[in-house]
Amino acid sequence: MAAALHLCGLQSFFPLRTRPSPKSFPSFSSSLPSSSSSSSLALLCRSAFLRSFSSSARRRPSATAASFVVSAALGKLSETELVPVPKGPEGLDGKFPSAAGVYGVYDGDGGLQFIGISRNVAASIAAHAKSVPDLCCAVKVGLVDNAAPDRTVLTSAWKSWLEEYIAATGKVPPGNETGNNTWFRLPQRKPDLRLTPGRHVKLTVPLEELIDQLVKENKVVAFIKGSRNAPQCGFSQRVVGILESHGVDFECVDVLDEEHNHGLRETLKKYSNWPTFPQVFVGGELVGGCDIISSMAEKGELAALFQK
Amino acid sequence: MGVTKEDVESTLTSALKPSHLEVIDTSGGCGASFEIEIASEQFEGKRLLERHRLVNGALAEQMKHIHALSIKKAVTPSQWKPPQ
Repeated sequence: MAAALHLCGLQSFFPLRTRPSPKSFPSFSSSLPSSSSSSSLALLCRSAFLRSFSSSARRRPSATAASFVVSAALGKLSETELVPVPKGPEGLDGKFPSAAGVYGVYDGDGGLQFIGISRNVAASIAAHAKSVPDLCCAVKVGLVDNAAPDRTVLTSAWKSWLEEYIAATGKVPPGNETGNNTWFRLPQRKPDLRLTPGRHVKLTVPLEELIDQLVKENKVVAFIKGSRNAPQCGFSQRVVGILESHGVDFECVDVLDEEHNHGLRETLKKYSNWPTFPQVFVGGELVGGCDIISSMAEKGELAALFQK
Repeated sequence: MGVTKEDVESTLTSALKPSHLEVIDTSGGCGASFEIEIASEQFEGKRLLERHRLVNGALAEQMKHIHALSIKKAVTPSQWKPPQ
């Protein structure tokens, strides 16, 4: 059974540095603990939840709208309160806890679509609500009792909810079936672009022309040290982080890739008349390096730049 | 031989006549890494990229030995606000 499942939210919200590349992400089932019971899980009972839980017969006063209004504690999926997801990003602000836990997403007919785990439940739910609003009408949230829980704690929580659902319904939530990528925030990060097929291939056009084509054919190109998944320089890492956090669809070129981008560093420095890396091009024009991108991000000028 | 903070300062001062200049050696002494805050008349009417180019151009000789040059601020004198 477990072999037919995979989980999404966790992977999507691991911090950049520790996030495994999608390609190497192992089949999740292999890392599942062999057994778990919900009683063995360290799951959090937040006071806000306890209040609403113990008084579930009456309406929960809306005045408890602190940041963790809906934090459910564990126990069972069936006993956790189902909370509607507000439409639009404003309503989501502070609605769900930015903490680690398991969550179940329900569609408009009250059907469970997906069970995920995340280090930041609020961010995961917000991402789902944005990418598949029609399937993301209400959620149940169960936090785990640890600010930075071990992954096995999260996967145990995930497994307990999933097993409960399977036991009750005899089926797997559609979003957890293998091959269903609906709930992946980043289905696949793009591979890095390469200027040449390899070092052994003799170029028929100068490298400058390849660079010129590349930056003009792609709206946003970042030349960085290292790959997109593993930048090898702090400045490159920061630029990738800023672009990703702005939701920019950009291409990456690894200037350290001597096999496929041999000679790129020196040629690009001359082409752009810019001495350092990273270098970010938008619409064929150099915008700048890390300092400029960072300062534009701080001033809120980046969004306008990428809208052009 | 590494580049010193004083080298960077004197080069920038003569090239850009800054009204404010602060150079911080962030390399821990080996002279390979600097942070710069600079305000100059010459930045007037220029985009950030062009301002950075002026600084990079002025330091072209030293850049051969500098590994990381971080231009924290490149502003015009009227934009310059002392830190609180």
